[in-house]
Amino acid sequence: MSTVDTADGRAAKLDRLFVLRWIQECAASLEAEREYLTQLDAAIGDADHGVNMDRGMRAARAKVRSMDAEPAGSLLEAVGATLILTVGGAAGPLYGTAFQQAGRSLHGCSTFDALDLLSALSAGLQGVQRLGAASEGDKTIVDAFAPALSAFRRGLMGGGSLASATTRAREAAEVGMRATTPLQARKGRASYLGPRSIGHQDPGATSTALLFAALERAAGELDS
Amino acid sequence: MDSPTVCCARNRWTPSRRIHRRGGVVVIQSVGRASMILKALGSGAGRLGVTELAERLGLAKATVYGLVRTLEIEGLVEQDPETGKYRLGAAMLALGNAFLANNQLRTRSLVWSESLASRVGEAVRVGVLNGPNVLIVHHVFRPDNSVQILEVGASIPWNACALGKAFVAYLRADERGELLAGPLPRLTGQTLTDPQLLEVALQETVRTGYAVEDQEAIVGEAEIAAAVFDHAGAPVGAISVVGPVERVLPDGPPPNLAAAVKEVARGLSRDLGAGRAGVRSG
Repeated sequence: MSTVDTADGRAAKLDRLFVLRWIQECAASLEAEREYLTQLDAAIGDADHGVNMDRGMRAARAKVRSMDAEPAGSLLEAVGATLILTVGGAAGPLYGTAFQQAGRSLHGCSTFDALDLLSALSAGLQGVQRLGAASEGDKTIVDAFAPALSAFRRGLMGGGSLASATTRAREAAEVGMRATTPLQARKGRASYLGPRSIGHQDPGATSTALLFAALERAAGELDS
Repeated sequence: MDSPTVCCARNRWTPSRRIHRRGGVVVIQSVGRASMILKALGSGAGRLGVTELAERLGLAKATVYGLVRTLEIEGLVEQDPETGKYRLGAAMLALGNAFLANNQLRTRSLVWSESLASRVGEAVRVGVLNGPNVLIVHHVFRPDNSVQILEVGASIPWNACALGKAFVAYLRADERGELLAGPLPRLTGQTLTDPQLLEVALQETVRTGYAVEDQEAIVGEAEIAAAVFDHAGAPVGAISVVGPVERVLPDGPPPNLAAAVKEVARGLSRDLGAGRAGVRSG
């Protein structure tokens, strides 16, 4: 696993273990940030985003740990299905679709490279946008997701390692996340508040940035 | 702004410039500006200094200062003692509550919505049409002790919610046509934004007596609503059951849920003086 990820991230060989690590990092991070996310959601949402995401990712982690031999794509699809079942509100269907579409895009391959990962995540973003009809600037998940993928792509195309490309993706997600604060929400429950949604960081963009930070840690472990 | 003279009258006011006409109505400039200040403080983070307000509204600082101090005396605005910035005052809450208390539909619906929520085990909302949006005037939480945020005061495009469709279905053809002509914002991938599809949904609403919304406002959420009518048979608002799509629309609208919403809407309409014959609902 760890031997090939040197100069060019496009050569990195990834498999189900990488997905397992990512999901474990996601679950750990959402557990740690549960209160923070709920606090953000209380300002402009239903005050349940932290609790929901923590419960969902915990269930997803348990699910993928119970799957012995399935390839990476099937694990991601199972994560998506679990999130849809266990996460309430809009986050369940949105993140659930993202993971399901990402999983499908890997076509049951036993190994994949960083560009396959990029295509998978792009398929996930498309799924989210189809469901939620959100564009960048609407103060949603997309505001962190879209710039993270652009940065990930630039990192890989520039010949960087998978680890460095995921670092750039995480940084871009965080910039996008912070940039949601002055925006007026145009999608989701927060949009009901009109101008009152201004001045609060979007909880969905924040959880997306956490998922990219988890991806960065999973990729970092490849190098070590 | 009806003439260029009025537009550039910032520094040298004359009585004729402070009072002008807009759409045949006398508009007092200072009242307009005071309203702009209240609206600015009512949006976003909510604390603004005199300089920030002046920049946002394109007014001189001295003008803004005079206006906020007057509003402060009236209790409509408060100054934060630590930062010196201004925020909305406590008197605003009393005014907001007075608005809600004066809404006859809301007052009448308090008991009806409570009993509907406990009967079906979901959240209940009551809304009125305000321009192209539904304004939520009453919201009863889903009776399951979970944390929920009060949606009273929320504004939802009429085409994206069942409350809006239930109401608009019974408007006069010309009023309906105006709303169908847009704007029809898209809130999710499922929001109806095609006037023809919406017209079909409105006809279906009149046929069945209730409107349905399937994840058209928020992904994962669905709503069933029925219109409430006044003594003249005109729609005055709508009442709905709203909740997770898998419970509200498991496989199309559950007949008992739709029936419960219709029944409560009929009861409310009777309370508001609508006779059985006068109610245009099916």
